[in-house]
Amino acid sequence: MDLVFALAINGLIWGLIIALIALGLSIIFGLLDIINLAHGDFFMVGTVLAWFIVQSTDNFWLAFILVPIIGLLLGAVIQKLVIVPIKGAAALSIVATFGLSIILQETVRATFGPAPKRLLPPVEGTIPLFGIDYELYRLVAAVISIICLAAFFLFLHKAKLGTWMRAVRHDPETALALGIPVQRIYTITFAIGFGMAALGGVVAAPITTVDFRAGVDILPFCFIAVIIGGLGNLQGTAAAAVLLAFMEGVITAFADPVVARIASLLFMSAVLLVRPQGIFAGATS
Amino acid sequence: MSNAAPTGPARSLRTPEQKLAIFNRVLSAALILFFASAPLILPLVTNNFWIGITAEIMMWSLFAASVNLLFGYTGLLSFGQALYFGAGMYGVAIGVAQIGLGFWPAFGFGIFCSIFMALVTGSLAVRLTWHYFAIITVVFSLIFYFLALTMSSITGGDDGLAFQLPPMFQFGDTEISLTNSTLQYYFIFIVVGLCFFLKWRLLASPFGRALVAIRENDVRAELVGINVYMMRLASFVISGFFAGVAGALFAFFGRYASTSYMFYHVSGEAVVWAIVGGAGTLFGPVLGTGVLIIIREELSLYWDHYLLLVGVIIILTVIFAPKGLTGLINSTVLKIVAPKHNPDTEAQSNLADDKARQPAE
Repeated sequence: MDLVFALAINGLIWGLIIALIALGLSIIFGLLDIINLAHGDFFMVGTVLAWFIVQSTDNFWLAFILVPIIGLLLGAVIQKLVIVPIKGAAALSIVATFGLSIILQETVRATFGPAPKRLLPPVEGTIPLFGIDYELYRLVAAVISIICLAAFFLFLHKAKLGTWMRAVRHDPETALALGIPVQRIYTITFAIGFGMAALGGVVAAPITTVDFRAGVDILPFCFIAVIIGGLGNLQGTAAAAVLLAFMEGVITAFADPVVARIASLLFMSAVLLVRPQGIFAGATS
Repeated sequence: MSNAAPTGPARSLRTPEQKLAIFNRVLSAALILFFASAPLILPLVTNNFWIGITAEIMMWSLFAASVNLLFGYTGLLSFGQALYFGAGMYGVAIGVAQIGLGFWPAFGFGIFCSIFMALVTGSLAVRLTWHYFAIITVVFSLIFYFLALTMSSITGGDDGLAFQLPPMFQFGDTEISLTNSTLQYYFIFIVVGLCFFLKWRLLASPFGRALVAIRENDVRAELVGINVYMMRLASFVISGFFAGVAGALFAFFGRYASTSYMFYHVSGEAVVWAIVGGAGTLFGPVLGTGVLIIIREELSLYWDHYLLLVGVIIILTVIFAPKGLTGLINSTVLKIVAPKHNPDTEAQSNLADDKARQPAE
């Protein structure tokens, strides 16, 4: 029972981190109409940047501040260089981001190296939690993720920029007519998408291994969350990420992790075919 | 071919379009001639290693052609073709290694598996279009990828499943099998050639025209009486068949099957080959596959991180030549034969408009 509990908590915390990454994927999809196959690699770049910064400054919290900022900048540059020239060609954007994914992975393999590495958590020690010794950093990671998620939704609904982003998603032409700089909003959205994935990366880095292939594993999971939550439904995406990771955590206690992944994928196929608007459709704006 | 001369009033004896069509026919013939004679001419200029690579290019071209049939002609971007490649591959490997089938039954079993798989998954997938279609094809392929990983007692998991090549024919004591590398090459050449011939015939038929009509405007196609769902499903199954044949050939070629060939990155490669070569043209995917595999084989010897170049090529193609290499060649030829008359090149530069869905003729 302790094991089930530990795995369930692990899943829950992992889900909170995935929610950050999947939200990035979801805003890019919702606003720019792009299936971003490089999104897992944005996360991976976040973990690797965190590793480099911790390695050279020995300060995790510095990485925590810097990595999302670097992510934002990289996102803006990539959007200008790659996404703007193919704007409007949905099928081509899948191919372009596939190429981007190859470039990011290979760049990291060339600089960081092919071998996975570990990043020590900035907060060490364990605390007793319902009869098990639980790693303290994971709880810290959960708290950080919850704060970031809250900040994201606050930004989206209260800040002017967030309101603009929602307006552009709703109706880009009217938004443009009302004086909203639509093109700049596209760039900012893509940048925030990258930034969110990088943020997820730096938070997750001490929990997982830092590896140039990490994005390949995480991408399908993010897509599952985005689809089940409903494309463009951000609250739904976050909820789906947490629920799914929790469910996978529980299943992992009884079966192979791969079985848990197959269950999620089957669930996702059913949602795609029966309720492509997501299971939470109608619940939120 | 898909490069057939355009209909319409002939202004002169040879319009630029007709000249282009002739150029394309010559190019296609040269391509076929090269593949037909590669085992004879390649040893004269380089070593035998390249014969194997040429064989690989043919098999992967067929795989890219399966993406092309769906994307280039039917307007559905599948990111899960590796599933049918894997079905063909495992059909052969399991047929030989686990069931003990001979060469031809195993080949047939592999093809049957891929068609069956395409029929089952396709009947669900073609209900969706665009983004949703791309996503569900990835999801289906991932489900079976993970299934194959868990059933490692049957599939060999990540390590793969190796098998002894059964003989193709047996006359008394003499056995004819693919261990003869020239025979293997021509076996692949004939099978791939037949598939391309089939694709060419299909696309020239009313069925092929119906697919293009669906690609251009599915609502209008439905209104003129085309059963869009059945046509898309048929295209999906035929495309799965091509991928399956490619996978079965690849299993015989490598004498093994591995789950790594079922991962979505393999599907992605096929999409890249088709689009870099030129989606919507018969031989575009062959060109794309050939160029990218040659880059891989040649460059990887000198540069460990050659994939960086592949990534850059993909992005540059998508931005500057959305109709791929074939589109690039065609617009260049048109510029040469008719410097002033170039409606095609205008269309070429109009990115937002064309979504690279039109054929590059």
